[in-house]
Amino acid sequence: MTKSTRILTVDDSPSMRALLNHALASNGFDVAQAEDGMAALDWLESNEVDVVITDINMPRLDGFGLIERLREGERHRDRPILVLTTESSDEKKARARAAGATGWIVKPFDPAKLVAAVRRVTH
Amino acid sequence: MTSEEIQAIFFAECEESLAAAETGLAACQQGTQDEDTVNAVFRGVHSIKGGAGAFGFIALQAFTHTFETLLSDVRDGTVPLTEPLIELLLRALDTLSDHVAAAQGAGETPEDTALLAELTAAQAANAGGAAAPAPEPPAPEPKAKPAKSAKAKPAPEPAPEAQDAPNADLDIDLDAMLDDLAGAMGGSSPEADSEDDDAEGRWEMRVRPQAGAMRNGSEPVLMLREAIELGGRCELCDISEVPPLDKIDPETGYLGWHFSFPGDVNETAVRDIFDFIGDECDLVIGRGLAMPPVQLPEPKPGNGAPAAPAPASAAVREPPRQAPSAAPPAAPAAAAAANQTIRIELGKLDRLIDAVGELVIAQAMMAQRLVSEGVAATEELTILESLTRDIQESAMSIRAQPIGSVFSRVPRILRELTQSTGKHVRLDVSGESTELDKTVIERLGEPLTHLIRNAVDHGIEEADQRVAAGKSPEGTLTLSAEHRSSRIVIRIADDGRGIDRERVLAKAIEKGLVPADVQLSKEEIDQLIFAPGFSTAQTISNISGRGVGMDVVRQNVKDLGGRITIESEPGKGTAFILTMPLTLAISDGMVVNVGDQTLVIPLANVVESLRPDIEQVKGLGTQRAMINVRGRFIPIIPLHASVGAVGATEAPDHGVLIVVETEGAGRAALLVDAIRDQRQVVIKSLDTHYRSVEGVAGATILGDGRVALIIDVDGLVARSLSASAAQTPTQAQEAA
Repeated sequence: MTKSTRILTVDDSPSMRALLNHALASNGFDVAQAEDGMAALDWLESNEVDVVITDINMPRLDGFGLIERLREGERHRDRPILVLTTESSDEKKARARAAGATGWIVKPFDPAKLVAAVRRVTH
Repeated sequence: MTSEEIQAIFFAECEESLAAAETGLAACQQGTQDEDTVNAVFRGVHSIKGGAGAFGFIALQAFTHTFETLLSDVRDGTVPLTEPLIELLLRALDTLSDHVAAAQGAGETPEDTALLAELTAAQAANAGGAAAPAPEPPAPEPKAKPAKSAKAKPAPEPAPEAQDAPNADLDIDLDAMLDDLAGAMGGSSPEADSEDDDAEGRWEMRVRPQAGAMRNGSEPVLMLREAIELGGRCELCDISEVPPLDKIDPETGYLGWHFSFPGDVNETAVRDIFDFIGDECDLVIGRGLAMPPVQLPEPKPGNGAPAAPAPASAAVREPPRQAPSAAPPAAPAAAAAANQTIRIELGKLDRLIDAVGELVIAQAMMAQRLVSEGVAATEELTILESLTRDIQESAMSIRAQPIGSVFSRVPRILRELTQSTGKHVRLDVSGESTELDKTVIERLGEPLTHLIRNAVDHGIEEADQRVAAGKSPEGTLTLSAEHRSSRIVIRIADDGRGIDRERVLAKAIEKGLVPADVQLSKEEIDQLIFAPGFSTAQTISNISGRGVGMDVVRQNVKDLGGRITIESEPGKGTAFILTMPLTLAISDGMVVNVGDQTLVIPLANVVESLRPDIEQVKGLGTQRAMINVRGRFIPIIPLHASVGAVGATEAPDHGVLIVVETEGAGRAALLVDAIRDQRQVVIKSLDTHYRSVEGVAGATILGDGRVALIIDVDGLVARSLSASAAQTPTQAQEAA
C-alpha cells in the first residue's frame, strides 16, 4: 500500500466520531471528521477521500441526504459510502442500499468489524 | 485518545442530548409538534443509545432502545403525540437521565421495568394495526435471548461473536436471527449444522453478482478476494451468462463464481462478506450433493457427480446454456474487446508524427527537384503526394481524441459553481465527438474551465434578476464543438446579461489600460477583458475576479495556435469562440518573400491579400502608413523592417499587402514583396532547437531544403504597432 486509505467520518455525535477515529486511526487509516452532512459536503469540496462513513440521523443534512447529494455528481458516484446504523434489519439494509449506500456498519461495532467493512469496499 | 477520554466525550454529549430532548418535548407540550422538533427528541435518545452500545452500558442501551422505538413511531406519525404520551416521554427522559448518571458511576441503576412496559404498551397500542407485532420478541429484556444460544454453533470459529458477547445487545441478537433466517432461505442450514461431521469435506459457495451489485461504489471483486483470504478457493468462473459483446452493460455482472471452502471455515463469516450486496447477488452455500445442478465442465474430485436434481434453490438461476469448454475461466468476451485497441507509448507516436512531418518535407523537396529538372506533372508524383497526405492524416488521427473528455468535466464544474454562487445552470453540449489533437485537448481544459467559471460568475445573472428580465430562473450554458476547414471551433455561450461595455470601458480607463478619451468599437471594448490585470468583478470572489484570468486564457489559447473571439449582446448573453488548430505539428501557411528572406505567415491569421493602389495608402507622418480597405483604415507594417531583411520593397504600392487578423491589435496589413506559395508546413519549435524569439512562432523547412521562419503574427503586429510613435488606443492596451 503506497498511501493510507483516507476516510471521512460523518456523525453529529462527538463521541461516536472519537470512537470511529480511534478505531480507524489505530488501524492505519487516515481519518477526517465532519459533524453533519453539510459539513461533509463542504469538506469534500476541497478534499479527496477514499471512503465516507456516515451516520444517518443528523441535523441540517442527514446521511441519506448526504449520499444523495454525493451520488448526484460524477465525482462521488462510485465512492464507497458506508452508513452507520443501529438496526440491521433487511428493511433498513434495503433502504440504505436504495439510498445509494455501499454498505453499512451496525452500531455498536467492534474495531475488527469496522475495519472489515471498510476493507470490503476499498482496495 | 484513550477510551476513558472518549467516554468522557460521550457523557458530555449525553448531557447535551438529554437537554435537547427535554427542550424538544417541552416545545411539543407547548404545541410545537413539527417534524424538526420531534426529530430533535428522537436524535437525542438515539445518540445516547449509540454510545451506550459502543461503551457496553447494557442497561442504558436496553432502556434507550425501547424509548427510541416508541419515539421512532412518533416521528413516523404512527403513534399520535398526545398529552399523556408527552407526559410519559418526559418521565422516560428523567429515568434516562438516571441511567446516564448510573453509567457514569453516580448513583444506582434505576428500576425501569414498569416504565419499559408502559413505553412498549404505548407503542404497541397505536402501532398495532400497521406493523404486525406477532412474533415480536421480548425486546426490553437486555439479556441474551434463547434464540441466540440455540443458534450458536459448536463453533470452530468463535472470535467475532465472542467479542460481542459482553455487549449481548439487541442488535446482535437481531443479527443472529437474521442469519438464521437467511440460512433457512438459502436452504443450507442443515448442511451448515452438520459441517463438523465431515471435517475433511469442503463446502461450496456459488455467487453471482447481478445488475446493481456494482452500483453505489460496490466492488464484488473485493468481496471475492476476501473470500479467498478466508480460505476459499476459486474453482470456476461461470461465463454462461455473458451476453454478446453488443449487449454488455459495463455496470452489470455476468460472471458467476464457484468457490470451495475447507470444512472449518465458518459459513456465516462468508455470508457476511456479501452482506452489502445481499439483494443484488445470488448466493448459494452448500455441499456437492445438495447443490443445485450447475454443470461444471469438470466435476471436482470428491464431489462426485452432482446427482439428483436437488430441491431447486430460489436463489440460483439455471444457467441458460452450458459454459463453453474448460479453457481458462477468464472471459473470452473481454479478451475480444481488448483486441480492438492497442496501447502505444506516447513517445513512439510522437516520433511517428515527426517522421511523417519529415516525409511531407521530403516529398515536397523531391517534387521541387523534379520540377527544376524539367520532369513536371508525373503521375507517380501525384500518387506519392496523395499517399503522403493519407499517411499524414492517419498519423494525425492517431493522436486525435474526442473533445468529450474535456466537456465531461464541465457538469462537475457547474455543480461546484452552483454551490458557491447559488446560480443554477443548465448545460447544453453538442459536438462532443469532435476530434482534435491530444495535446490540444489536454491544454484546453484550463482555459475552458476559466471561461465557464467566468460565464457563470459574470455572465449569468442571479435568479431574481433573470426572472425580472423575463428569462427562466435557470441559466443555460451552451458548449459546442465542430470542425470548420481544418480547424475546430469551440463555442462557450451563456444566456446571461452580456458584456456591460460601459462598465468594461470605465474600468479599463480607470486601470489606465486605455486613455480616457478613447473611441472604441464594440469588439474592441470586448477585447479589453483580455487585457492583463483587467477584472470587472464588483467583489473579488474565489471563482473568478482575481484579474489574472482572461489574459491567461487568451495566452493559453494563443500558445496552442488558436484564437479567441467574443460575441456579446447586452441582456441576451455572451459567447466565447475558440478557434483551435487540429494539431500542433502541422499548420497551413502562406510562404512569402521579403527581400532576401522567405517567411511563412500562418494562414489562420490571413484575411486577404491585395496589391494596393497608391490612392488607398495614407501616410501618417514619416514612419507610418495606413491603407483604406473598403472604408476601413488598417495600419501597414513593412515586414522587412521587423525581420531585418535586405533589399525588400519599401513602397506599399509596389509590393503585396497581406491583411491579417490579430487577437489584441485588430487588423494589420503586412507588406511583403511577393507571395510564393500556400502550403502545409511542419512546425519546428524554436524553443527546442534555438530559443524563443519574439515575433517568431517557429521555423519550418521548405521544399528546397531552406529554413524559413514562421511569423507569430499577433506578437509581431503588437510589437510593431506599439513601437510606432503614434499609438492608437487598442495598441496602448496591448502594451499595458
